[in-house]
Amino acid sequence: MTKGWTAKRIVERCVGVVVLVFVAIGPAALTDYWVSSILTQTFLLGIAAASLIFLSAYGGMISLAQTAIFGIAGFALANLVTTDATGGQNLGWNPWLGVAGAIVIATAIALVFGALASRSLGIYFLMITLALGVIGFYFFLQVDKLSGRAGIPTIRAHAPSIVGDTSAAPERLYYVALVLAFAVYVVIRYVVRTPFGIALQGIRDEPVRMASLGYNVPVHRMLAFGLAGFFASLGGVLYAWWNDLMDPAAIDLNAIVSLLVVAVIGGLGRIEGAWLGAFAFILINNYVRDIEVPVLGGSFPTVIGFIFLAIVLVSPDGLMGLWDRVWSGGRRRGDPPEVAVDVQRSAPEASPS
Amino acid sequence: MKVGKWKFLLPLGLLVAGSAVATSGALATSAQSSEVKIAILSECKGAFGGAYEEQIGAVQAAFSQYAGAKPKNKKKPSAGITGGALGGKTIKIVGYGCGDETPALALKETRRLMEQLGGEIMIGPLSGDEGVAVANYAKAHPKQTFLNGTSGGQQTTLKVRAKNFFRYNGDGAQWNAGTGEIAYKRLGWRNAAIIMDDYSFGYTSGAGFIAEFCAWGGKISKRVFVPSPNTDYSSYVQQLPAPDKIDGYFWVVGGSGTGPSVKAFTQAFGPMDPKKVIGNLFFAFLGNDKELAPQLVGAYMGGFGTGPGLQTPAAKAYRKLATKWYPDFNPDDGFYYNWWNPAWALTTAMDKINGDLSGGHQKLWAAMPRVLNAGFGKIVLDKNRQAIQDQYPIRYVKKGGAITFEVIGLIPQVDQTFGGQFSEKTPSPSRAAPACKKAKLPWMNKIIPVKNGVPQR
Amino acid sequence: MTRLLPRLIAFAAIAFALIWVLFAARNTNFGPAIDDPKNFFITLLNGLTFAGLLFIVASGFALIFGLMRVINMAQGVFFLLGGYIAYDMQQKIAEGGGFTLLPADVNAWEWLIPALVATLSIGVFGLGVQQLLLRWNQGQDLRQALITIALSVILADQVIEHFHGGLGRSVTWPGSIEKFVDLHVFGIQYSLARLTVLALSLLVGALLWLWLYRTRTGMVIRAGVDDRQMTSALGINIQRTFAIAFFVGSALAGFGGAVGATQAGAATGADGQWLLNSLVVVIIGGLGSLLGAAVGSLLYGLVFTFAAVYLPSGYTNYAIVFTFALLALVLAFRPQGLVGRPG
Repeated sequence: MTKGWTAKRIVERCVGVVVLVFVAIGPAALTDYWVSSILTQTFLLGIAAASLIFLSAYGGMISLAQTAIFGIAGFALANLVTTDATGGQNLGWNPWLGVAGAIVIATAIALVFGALASRSLGIYFLMITLALGVIGFYFFLQVDKLSGRAGIPTIRAHAPSIVGDTSAAPERLYYVALVLAFAVYVVIRYVVRTPFGIALQGIRDEPVRMASLGYNVPVHRMLAFGLAGFFASLGGVLYAWWNDLMDPAAIDLNAIVSLLVVAVIGGLGRIEGAWLGAFAFILINNYVRDIEVPVLGGSFPTVIGFIFLAIVLVSPDGLMGLWDRVWSGGRRRGDPPEVAVDVQRSAPEASPS
Repeated sequence: MKVGKWKFLLPLGLLVAGSAVATSGALATSAQSSEVKIAILSECKGAFGGAYEEQIGAVQAAFSQYAGAKPKNKKKPSAGITGGALGGKTIKIVGYGCGDETPALALKETRRLMEQLGGEIMIGPLSGDEGVAVANYAKAHPKQTFLNGTSGGQQTTLKVRAKNFFRYNGDGAQWNAGTGEIAYKRLGWRNAAIIMDDYSFGYTSGAGFIAEFCAWGGKISKRVFVPSPNTDYSSYVQQLPAPDKIDGYFWVVGGSGTGPSVKAFTQAFGPMDPKKVIGNLFFAFLGNDKELAPQLVGAYMGGFGTGPGLQTPAAKAYRKLATKWYPDFNPDDGFYYNWWNPAWALTTAMDKINGDLSGGHQKLWAAMPRVLNAGFGKIVLDKNRQAIQDQYPIRYVKKGGAITFEVIGLIPQVDQTFGGQFSEKTPSPSRAAPACKKAKLPWMNKIIPVKNGVPQR
Repeated sequence: MTRLLPRLIAFAAIAFALIWVLFAARNTNFGPAIDDPKNFFITLLNGLTFAGLLFIVASGFALIFGLMRVINMAQGVFFLLGGYIAYDMQQKIAEGGGFTLLPADVNAWEWLIPALVATLSIGVFGLGVQQLLLRWNQGQDLRQALITIALSVILADQVIEHFHGGLGRSVTWPGSIEKFVDLHVFGIQYSLARLTVLALSLLVGALLWLWLYRTRTGMVIRAGVDDRQMTSALGINIQRTFAIAFFVGSALAGFGGAVGATQAGAATGADGQWLLNSLVVVIIGGLGSLLGAAVGSLLYGLVFTFAAVYLPSGYTNYAIVFTFALLALVLAFRPQGLVGRPG
């Protein structure tokens, strides 16, 4: 479906360019903290969220296992490259080999997860991926040879020179993360226009029909899951460098839900939502810390939980969905937003055998 | 159309707002050199979350006592302090960190305090794994100074060796000094089993018992590891030898697992014999004593580097000073004592160098006191900035109808290496380390009995 | 052939596991069962009793899911909340003064009433949640899942805020239960408390079965699980049925929490663990059926318990891999669960 240059697209492109320019010159204008913490985190968290939104927007599958894949990549990297850390295998590989190894391992496991979950749909899929995600957390928590509770520190000291070690200027990692985030965005936009991507969207909408046309639906989904896992693994590697420490708490149930919150806030239907949601989440996380919720008590989790609830109730397709509706609201009111969130599946939900 | 204009103005507006927010963050106030920025990393979630106010209170009380500060609210330390100067520089507390025992959150809070809020010196954290993470962070950030709170993992100092990380308290192994000797000599154990949490603090704490008990010639015939956290202890407890096949158990299960694990034991083997179990600090602290003491009157346990109920002149003087500022807290508690000491040490050092932190903190590091005559004994820093400290084993006793715990011994000047058994080269405590071997410890046969809080020197 | 392969693999896996445990388990804590039958049976009983508790909680989860296609992500938090409420109630009745009570100080009523209070209050709470947040978006499965996720995040934080800071608290069995019984087999003395858990779960199972298969409401629920639209098209007040089912499902979580808090204590972290437990049970067993919950609980409970004990010592912390392996095996060959029906 080719789209013309509508006013909306023009505005979006302009905004995108402005944002890109802004972040490109960011380090010159912003404080170190904004560069090294807020924005770098936005980029890498956005990559992880993009892996989730890729699957939800174009594959119709909401996966909660992305955090675990992200973690597997980070832990694999930590185990492979560190030499003197207080945890992990300390294999001392070459930094670039370590990165490659981490991405390969995480993507392979993503394919396995995908194979297991690909014959289920909708919330069955959600449940299975959630179980897999939590198992991933418990694995790294309990297997102390590969991490244990204390995790694996000193990862940044073994990063490739382009990223620099812990004493390097934060701009290096910032730009690496920015370039990777942009690359992931471009690749996703490209993939969804390839035959693979189009078939995936077909499977999202009409799995039975696609199967009768000869497409191997479960395998297709598995491959999409593997691709998403590849993206998530990039995020994991970046996170390992950024945080200088991989520990299981970074991928626990809270983290799994947080990634979902990021994706939902941004918008499950559009890739741009990944970075928008990540930015919003990190801002809230940083600046709403000390809040004391009136009447109920509680702190940040209660706040973010309510924001999440509000978004799900009012605008389930997130901020990008709101944006979409602002544009279509004037002309076509009443059209449901094109998002996977409340698509009802009344067709048989397991695999067509 | 109204909507039409919106479409263009909305993104523009958001962009402008966004850049305003971003660049306002950029207008960082340059460091006012008449201030010294202190951060306190405490714990407000998880098993130790209740110690949040206590730890902040201890630091601020020390600042009040030695640096002229004043608490804003005597009942709520997190309300802050006014005044106070370290070496002539006004104390500015940039923030209170809130951890939950996980390294991930500890690092996040450390970043927030030291990078976002501009902290120069941090005091904290509480928990073993957090300490390792903060020590590694310290090593990577040599322009700042980090003083430990009460974290007790061995590797934090022994392996990481950060030049700007100072620990004025013992580690988990040091805290258990004396227990091995008590088991071997007093209780006559020759063969023991040990059940411990399957993570770094469990291993460190267990190492303290193993090293000492085996040094005397005892043998550990079984090591059982429990995942932490855990809810069902039955399958792990079942792996322990039955009470008639072993002389005793060393119990290193903490957090919220101390009670349930003991319960699982009684469900598997019947009531525990107090002469056949030795616990670590978790038996006495965190309220576990209320659950366990009634079942185990007479049982011994390792300490926390403090001497609860000690009646030496130094202890009494310390208590008087400490309770002046925040009277609600118990100064005998390790979560208070181990946070008071580094703050006090910092004050002394800053005064010595007149608060001169220009050109890096090297002057401060050189000036940090190597000897502290603290409330519960002399604290000496070794070459690795790790405390050598007096330790006090504890026992559940029945006193005047109430069941409580008290200090029963004093082991002077316990060092982290256990007389050379642990070093930078030895493997960190783990499932298999330390191995069980005979050795000589500097404090063998040197336990000074303590009766009613008075060491019988 | 494609039907034979999965059965072959499953058979091989089961056979290997049995041979290992029974005959070949050298270097493990106890050794093979032929050498140490006593510990084998104790482990078996431990596994069964854990499966019992799993069944209580997971059946509630399965009921809600089977009928309403709602993944109650808050099931774990309901469990935890049930545990804390039971603790608070017991403290109040038995005057614990803030300390864990000793079994000698607790009589049967001082356990039953707190358990009942926990069960009912969580049931009511769940009902409120359903009426407020889930009733009006019936059919939007994913949206409802997200709503329950948001709820679980908020509730988990609120539990920390209002219930003992999320610290570990134990409910105490009555003194008459906290003791040993002689099983007269291999000289085993087994904890009556654990047998009680098993008995309670069998009781719950029986009551659920009676309700689902012998009452009219139960019949409607089973019909609704089978075909929701048809059932409501028949003019049955489906909303009332949903409300009842959600109440029962939540109440089961609350009861499970009370029992769990007695067996192992309630603490933050339990909510995440029990959500995973419920998920694994229903994924393995199959969604929406009582039998599925029972089969799943049994399988998962046994695998979990045996893995912790019969792995070679030094590798026992890999027990989680067996949970994964079990999940993977079932998903690979029967994605609808062992007792589930395709579609």
